Amino acid sequence: MKCVIGGAQLRVFGRAIHAIARISDEFWFDPLEKGLALRSVNSSRSAYACVFFSSMFFQHYCWTAGTQPCQKEKQLSLPCKLIIKSVLPVFRCVNVLERNVEKCSICSSPSEQHITFQLLCRHGVVKTYNLTFQECDPLQAVFAKHMCPNILKVHSRLLADVMIHFPSSQEEITLSVTPMKVSFKSYTEEDTDFSRTMLTEIQLSPEEFDYFQVGVDSEVTFCLKELRGLLAFSEATSVPVCVHFDRSGRPIAFSIEDLLLEASFILATLCEAESEAASPEPACCPRPRDSSRPGMDKSDQSSTDGASNAVTATSKKPQQKGNTPSMDPAKPPSALAKQEVKNIPRGSERDEPGRAAAGEATEAPQAQVRELPTVPALEPHSCCWAEHPTCTGGFRGIRVTAAQLENPSTAGNTPVGQGGFTGKDLGVAKASQIINAQILYHRILTCTNIAFSSSTPCSSELSLPRTRPLVTPSRAW
Amino acid sequence: MSGQAQGRQCLCERLGPAFSDKEKRKGGEDHSAYLGGRGMRRFPSPRGIINTIVKLAKTCILRLTVCKLYFILSDKVANGGASMWCELSQGNFFDEFQMEGVAAEHNEIYLEFVPENLWRALKTAQSAKAVKIKLTNKHCPCLRVAVELPSLSSCSRIVTHDIPVGVIPRRMWNDFREPSMPDFDVSIYLPVLKTMKSVVERMKNLSNFIVIEANLSGEMNLKIETDLVSVTTHFKDLGNPPWASEDGCQSSGQGRDLESMAEACIDIKKLQQLLAGQQVNPTKALCNIVHKRIVHFILLHEEVSLQYFIPAIA
Repeated sequence: MKCVIGGAQLRVFGRAIHAIARISDEFWFDPLEKGLALRSVNSSRSAYACVFFSSMFFQHYCWTAGTQPCQKEKQLSLPCKLIIKSVLPVFRCVNVLERNVEKCSICSSPSEQHITFQLLCRHGVVKTYNLTFQECDPLQAVFAKHMCPNILKVHSRLLADVMIHFPSSQEEITLSVTPMKVSFKSYTEEDTDFSRTMLTEIQLSPEEFDYFQVGVDSEVTFCLKELRGLLAFSEATSVPVCVHFDRSGRPIAFSIEDLLLEASFILATLCEAESEAASPEPACCPRPRDSSRPGMDKSDQSSTDGASNAVTATSKKPQQKGNTPSMDPAKPPSALAKQEVKNIPRGSERDEPGRAAAGEATEAPQAQVRELPTVPALEPHSCCWAEHPTCTGGFRGIRVTAAQLENPSTAGNTPVGQGGFTGKDLGVAKASQIINAQILYHRILTCTNIAFSSSTPCSSELSLPRTRPLVTPSRAW
Repeated sequence: MSGQAQGRQCLCERLGPAFSDKEKRKGGEDHSAYLGGRGMRRFPSPRGIINTIVKLAKTCILRLTVCKLYFILSDKVANGGASMWCELSQGNFFDEFQMEGVAAEHNEIYLEFVPENLWRALKTAQSAKAVKIKLTNKHCPCLRVAVELPSLSSCSRIVTHDIPVGVIPRRMWNDFREPSMPDFDVSIYLPVLKTMKSVVERMKNLSNFIVIEANLSGEMNLKIETDLVSVTTHFKDLGNPPWASEDGCQSSGQGRDLESMAEACIDIKKLQQLLAGQQVNPTKALCNIVHKRIVHFILLHEEVSLQYFIPAIA
């Protein structure tokens, strides 16, 4: 595998390395067909970071060496582990890098035992770093972002302005949201010595967020230190940050998505109910690759959590089309279930939302309707969308008509479109219709990625069968 | 200070006994009474003072009276014997100021706090719409600083900091009295603080002690001496402030030889800390030297006066 990063993008790449360095001492260097992924997980499995650079990010990206004869070795670039400390010096002074370095090339080949980072600087200076790596199993945390009832989207500048009020020694902060306000406050344990600790709280109004959805009033506590890396990185890319979270105890995901890269930091949150130390989730269990399809990777993940129906629903999600379903059967949901299996197909879903997702829809829409438990996120009493008339929901990637849902075979050819609907529209529906809308919403979610785009308003329409409320878009976001 | 008691128990009386008696302290009631200061927008640089204090010591005393605020560092061993007295009148900084002391005839509050906390709380105060400071008692007495920041939306952001403070009981107030002006030998204006700061910083690398000497002709020398090297920096034409002598005996060098130097050897770190905290040039900066005893620095800004005493090392 070989790739070349141009001068302008070096800063972004360097910041990504620094951001990942906050999580752990080593990271997974994972070249894929579609791009390069850098992943890291901390020792207690309570924080996971993944930065994926698509091949367009690079001046030149070449995944296969081209000389591998046999099929098996098509995925020649196995992921490997590198020590952060050895890579950081390459990208030490990120700001200076931009000025002095013209290009950076990274290459590896299976025969050699190292990965070579080469910085081509001005005046003909070339710095070459040969770093040895460890081969390892692939790593991926699985987290159903679109199942989260609470979603905030905010520019990184705002988050940085908020975090500046906390001392750099502040370990954990609590984010608490209600439909009316958002607050960040320093976290204190039961036995904190208040006479010595300074407490800080920042209150923001929902209007400050580019997108604000609160399905469940929640208060989540997570580690600030690990997050600061992402904040610095997002300032370099100037892409807004999306925050997905749920009740306390469930992970919180901070993600950045762009044409060229995607980054997500998934952090565990403190479980208030059990009032014990942070339960380690997501717990990542790296599994050897078992799919023949390049770029596809499935890792199962178990998390300790009070069972929530939303997660159960995910576990019953249909298999990725064309793959050996190696997902473990979900353990029977029970209130005390400790182990749950979540799975998100990645790779193809990210890149081809329309087609792959449609494949999912084809698999078992019927089954979903039957088995679908209540999605707590959208329970009417706590559905903030309906109460928040200025909030708009939308989807991208697939235009679903009821006819298609009944007849899945046509779903695959639907053109990619965009649509939206407002909370007000949901609000006017009757209760029973809200339930139907929930089911439909859930279906839509499982079919598509919720992607946030700032494109111009569109005019596509979601048409539903007569028994369901007509949801028309008035504003897209 | 004859403040009006207003018929209700004031803050310190409620808190005072609570603090001498630890059991009562866990009452957890919210004595949200009123030391309120609002609207620090006119505060020229509150952070300037806090900045200075942060560099000087880990904890500081804040004394509040009806008209003035005082920041006091007492000359305990922990401070290396150095002490500070900084005075500012509340009218110059607060739009609204209400306080009630322990009793009518002692209408003052003494609080002990960590300057760094206050510095951090006021970090964004420059761009704030409003700043409110209250003394409350939740888990423990604390200064609640609420900063209202402008934001892009119609609602402003509110940042609240709870700074834990210790209330000083009345019986200890005598420890923090205003220091009297020493009977100095020489009084001289200081050179430009920025220059002095850079000189002292370089000298700090060579030695732990510095000798300041000055005379009544406007000449000052900063000297260090080690086994290997001695360095002296000479300043001249600094000028000597004319102190009006209150009575004939208080002679600021009356009859003293104009050329003869008064000197004192002090800890260089203390001097460097004092100078490092000065972001803005003071309106007046001068120092009084008592030969081989103490150096007394006076820095006057428009609305703040700061005095710093560094004892000489034998």
